Amino acid sequence: MKGQRWETRPLDCWQLAKELRRSYDNSLADSSIVLGNGTTNFYVDWQVAFPAIVVAEDNPIGAMMAQQNEAFARKARLASEVRGWGREICGYHNNCWGAQFLGRTADGKPFPERQFTVPFPCVCDSHIKRGQQCRDYKPIARWTNDFTMYIGERDEKREEAMLDHRNFNTLKQLNEIESVFGQRLDDGKLFELARNCRLLKQYMTNVSYFMTFTPSPLSVKDLYSFFQLGGLAKIGPEKAVHFWKTLRDEVEWRVQNQIAAVGSERFRWIEAHPPSWHFLKYYRYMEKYGAVCLGSQYTHFSQSQLERKPDGSIGERSYPVYDPDMELTTREDAVRFMTGPDARAPHHFKIDEYLRPYALNEFADVFHADGAMFGLWRSGVGCAVTRKEQAMRLRQAGYSVMCYEGSQPGDRVDLDEKRLIDQLDTWMESLGLEKLEDV
Amino acid sequence: MILAGIDMGIEATKAVVLRDGAIIGRAKASTGGTDRPIQARQTYDAALAAAGIAAIEVEAVSATGIGKYDVPFAGRRVTEVIAAAHGAGHLCPGATAVMSVGAGETLIAALGADRLIDEYALSQKCIAGVGLFLRTMADRLGIPLDLFGDGEAACVPTAVSDGCMVFAELDALSMLNRGAEPQTVAAACIRAAAVRAANTGFDLTVPNDTRTVLIGGTAKNRAFVRALEAAMGIAFIIPAGAEYAGAVGAAISGAKGLRK
Repeated sequence: MKGQRWETRPLDCWQLAKELRRSYDNSLADSSIVLGNGTTNFYVDWQVAFPAIVVAEDNPIGAMMAQQNEAFARKARLASEVRGWGREICGYHNNCWGAQFLGRTADGKPFPERQFTVPFPCVCDSHIKRGQQCRDYKPIARWTNDFTMYIGERDEKREEAMLDHRNFNTLKQLNEIESVFGQRLDDGKLFELARNCRLLKQYMTNVSYFMTFTPSPLSVKDLYSFFQLGGLAKIGPEKAVHFWKTLRDEVEWRVQNQIAAVGSERFRWIEAHPPSWHFLKYYRYMEKYGAVCLGSQYTHFSQSQLERKPDGSIGERSYPVYDPDMELTTREDAVRFMTGPDARAPHHFKIDEYLRPYALNEFADVFHADGAMFGLWRSGVGCAVTRKEQAMRLRQAGYSVMCYEGSQPGDRVDLDEKRLIDQLDTWMESLGLEKLEDV
Repeated sequence: MILAGIDMGIEATKAVVLRDGAIIGRAKASTGGTDRPIQARQTYDAALAAAGIAAIEVEAVSATGIGKYDVPFAGRRVTEVIAAAHGAGHLCPGATAVMSVGAGETLIAALGADRLIDEYALSQKCIAGVGLFLRTMADRLGIPLDLFGDGEAACVPTAVSDGCMVFAELDALSMLNRGAEPQTVAAACIRAAAVRAANTGFDLTVPNDTRTVLIGGTAKNRAFVRALEAAMGIAFIIPAGAEYAGAVGAAISGAKGLRK
């Protein structure tokens, strides 16, 4: 395979993706009730079924701020830090909170005022503090997207109980939001939403599966552009479904015709979590070695949608069993349908300290990876919790692993770019790979 | 086959000339600031003179170190870990790991049975400059670098920060201002530097330290080596001319290009 070159070309559906993105920006301007610091769900979520609610979440706002105006983002982080939120807090949040304290966004518009907040728990970083900051700023309503935690062997009965807890917690939130804000949840819309959610998961899983092929039809750069388009905005779930179906079809075509994301693919690597905000160019740098990043459990829609079946094949995760064609007649039906088998959280692989160190081995195997690269973050998505153990498990299985330090979100100077380039060169050279331009 | 390697570190530039794997000439000089390419050339010329050969006889010149791109006449650039691995393997056959503690960088690599390197770790921001810190403090205290920290009992408690070499220097100066003896300050500096360097060593998840080779300029300092061995629980193998090991490794890497 070494030295082989495949045809490569840009995706046709980029324009569609850009239109969806613009819709998100516009949806913020049309907001009437703003949910702050809400659930990070990469699919359309129940908020869409409340006609007047718009989601203004820390992560996209903070990340976009850093990308659009680093100088303002730095001011915002300082404004947050002087109020006691230190640098161990995610840059996503410090950017967003600081802008809230400053009272404006990067373009000078008033910061969208939140009326309630629904943070989700996360053991390894500052996500759970999101609701706290919102409440510190202004006394607003707060619910918690509560998931049970269990560190140990999985078993069916416990998973069912955990699912019950998660679903009833969501139902309770919906009912209370109705009563507090006088907003009626549109159950018909929720049912439609649940169906769309199911379709989205299916298409996303298909795309994920197609990336197990060699050459990979997409790289992680593509996934980062697409993977939140379903859930960020009240853009109309049917538009998100249409986009993902279009993407799925195009990616399938690319697999059938061996259209590669990186034409010189000869080394496939994975990550564990998002890279440093300010240094995405390392993906391009690695392409000089013919190395393609296949993403992580995070980019593959956060929920490890694929699993190995008893016969050894790879397929959609199905435990615990639920009927994808079930009839939806109640609000509970819809909530259960949307939750599916995800008893823990959207980031369950991050929360589940028992599964996490081992899960990446399976991921690497399924995606035919040659190696892995892990950021050891001072703050940010996943921080460094269990990262070294993951590296050890992968090494024991024969994968080459490279670790580097930095801060995933945050200031540009938090990452030593030159050092990282040195490390990338060393990693590739230690495996006998040279830059293709030098060969 | 005659090969040359140049290791341009942040403090010193080392050049070696090998004939069929044996060192026939070597030279070392200060790296300098803006005139690094000139320094590289002069150091290389000195190594050639020591070897008694002309530049045209050299089949490949390779460079490594933080200044490897400031060696314009090098035909190949090699990352420091690769050079260290090659150098350690060449100077100490059977080595299972290599650790390099230089002026600027600390690195460790577990050498593989069927590939050059199984795993490696590089010093990050807070660990950088261990060797430079020792040199600066040796100069300030008026103690020869090779003997720095060697006079006082090793049981001196760590009295300077082992979290960052900048803070360590401030702490050491504070000790002096409070009237501490120079050798006591030196011993505390050695301890702090060793603890800091060891942190990089501990970054390997699967260490293979049966035969760990220590290279880099600090390998010449006996007190530092003792302190590092105590901190890591390793008895290092230190080759003769340990500070040239990176240059040797770079030179050997150059042969790879010739075989293509």
